[in-house]
Amino acid sequence: MRLLLVEDNRELADWLSKTLRQASYVVDVVHDGEDVEHALAAGDHALIILDLALPRMGGMEVLKRLRARGNPVPVIVLTANASLDGRVKGLNEGADDYLAKPFQIEELEARIRVQLRRANDRTAPVISCGDLVFDTNTRLFSLAGATLSLTPREHAVLEQLVVKAGRTVSKAALSAAIYDFDTDADPSAIEIYVHRLRKKLEGSRVQIATLRGLGYLLRHDDPAP
Amino acid sequence: MRIRSLRIGSLRLQLLAWVVLPLAGLSAINLWTSQRNALATADLVTDRMLVGSARTIAEQAAMTEGVLVATIPPAAIEMFDTGDRDSVYYQVKTARGRLLTGYPDLPETSRPPGTEVTYRGRRLRLLTFGQSVVGAGDDSPITVTVGVTLGGHDAMVRRLWFSAFAQQLALVAIAGLFVLLGLRRGLAPLLRLRDAVRSPNRSELEPVEVPDAQSEIRPLIDALNAYMARVRAQMAAQRRFIANAAHQLRTPLALLSTQASYALRETASDARHEALVALQASSGRLARLAEQLLTLSRAEPGSRRPRSDRIDLTEAARQVLETHAPIAVGRNIDLGLEETGPVPVIGDGTMLREMIVNLVDNALRFSASGGSVTVKLAVIDGEARLTVADDGPGIPLDEREHVFERFYRVAGTTEEGSGLGLAIVREVVENAGGRVSLGDGATGGLIVDVRLPLADV
Repeated sequence: MRLLLVEDNRELADWLSKTLRQASYVVDVVHDGEDVEHALAAGDHALIILDLALPRMGGMEVLKRLRARGNPVPVIVLTANASLDGRVKGLNEGADDYLAKPFQIEELEARIRVQLRRANDRTAPVISCGDLVFDTNTRLFSLAGATLSLTPREHAVLEQLVVKAGRTVSKAALSAAIYDFDTDADPSAIEIYVHRLRKKLEGSRVQIATLRGLGYLLRHDDPAP
Repeated sequence: MRIRSLRIGSLRLQLLAWVVLPLAGLSAINLWTSQRNALATADLVTDRMLVGSARTIAEQAAMTEGVLVATIPPAAIEMFDTGDRDSVYYQVKTARGRLLTGYPDLPETSRPPGTEVTYRGRRLRLLTFGQSVVGAGDDSPITVTVGVTLGGHDAMVRRLWFSAFAQQLALVAIAGLFVLLGLRRGLAPLLRLRDAVRSPNRSELEPVEVPDAQSEIRPLIDALNAYMARVRAQMAAQRRFIANAAHQLRTPLALLSTQASYALRETASDARHEALVALQASSGRLARLAEQLLTLSRAEPGSRRPRSDRIDLTEAARQVLETHAPIAVGRNIDLGLEETGPVPVIGDGTMLREMIVNLVDNALRFSASGGSVTVKLAVIDGEARLTVADDGPGIPLDEREHVFERFYRVAGTTEEGSGLGLAIVREVVENAGGRVSLGDGATGGLIVDVRLPLADV
């Protein structure tokens, strides 16, 4: 899952993104409000973590514009202003959640999971496809009960596929979801990741199918219930 | 509460006393004269009646068959029957002293007006009246003496005097009542002011509004409101500062917590070490921020007993530079002191040192590696001058006034400052009676120029 972190305090942005990457998220960071639009145009972000006190364009204005354009991406607002007024105003402007600084990273992560679950119309924290199980709380894959060891990129690809299990995911969409700005997006590398994933999934009841010219699709052999 | 109402009561009593006591005194004099008047009136009336009675008796005296006979007509006695059970004594004598009728031992008295005598143990008003009788020869004129006890007389005095007394009393009472009413009305705005100030709803120090307050009370209310406005402004500033301070602490705290979480989860020892080092640096900055907040709250007017130490700025600057030298060396910044001798000033030593710390701290923070920071001390035009020059990015002209505001940070700066340093500098310098300004350095960068009054040598 690719997240966009908008935070002007560079140190906090730096460490927050590091911590989120630890949890296998792909994280892009921008430091002011005016860069948000470019960032969103350049990548497929599943969620925005938005600080309100931003130079040039305030977070509230960013949010307003985002919603005015009809962008439904979930937004979690971070702010040092924890007043009731501030929270209500943020939520009214289209924020999906609100977190006051200082916060514990665990809470931020839990809220991120809730928003991602909602965005994908899920209620259960565990996604399964055949004997492949993805626990969104621990952010770990397991295959037939055994934890699956994956590199960050493989993790990002498989997460994207499992969230959209049964639906086609184009190569471009995969690419937009797994590379952050600091990496040169290389669509051909996706084939390599898929190839490695197929190897790791060998012998299980799930397969990554290639649809020529369309993309990939995760499916399982279990008989339809 | 009891004391307060007693005080207000005593104001009432005072004003009441000032009105009622003189009035009562005047009334007493008035009563005394009116008593005299009543007495005079009663005397006069009684005398008239005595004359009337005597004349009636005298007119009945006549020669009957050559003998002078005096009979007492009942009307002469009955005219004294005023219901006061008075006794009437009379005596009719010839010119030669022969008693014709009446009480022989009744003392004779002068012509009108009557006199008061004691007769048979009773007080009488007595009057003697002479009249000639035709044909009585040597017996003429006869003298008629009539006396009456003082019951009716005294009753009349009492009646006359009592009505005057009642009038006076009513006058004093009514005057007192009006004083009280007037006071009550007059003091009402004062009481409303008291209630307004005491009201439990007044936590916000809103101005007190007392309608119909007199021109004497108005200045008191205005003074009170002005005072409360000052307190309110001070409280608002304090509240803003605390809110700001809390706000400023939130992001560093979030950073600390994030770094700690990262270190806890990281398994690679290099990365974990890096996180812990960063965490240590962040907590150091947080400590510095807390220190600055404390300094600023101490520098606030009224928050600390003003101290007037005699401080050598040169020596203070030398100490500060010595403690900052390792940082400068570490970042390859040329940190230097230029001085020409002691620069004595009067002020709070701790605060003045803190001021220099903040200036040097800022200069080092904004200087690039390889740059230089120069602290210069001099006495120019009878003023102590402290300048701190760096060759950092400087501050744009239109930002220069703002940088002295608390928590203000120049847009686009990536340096992690608290935004408090220059606010502290200004507060301390102004408390010590000096002023601070910003200028351009010779080679770009910023010069902070502090001028302080010189201590007497």
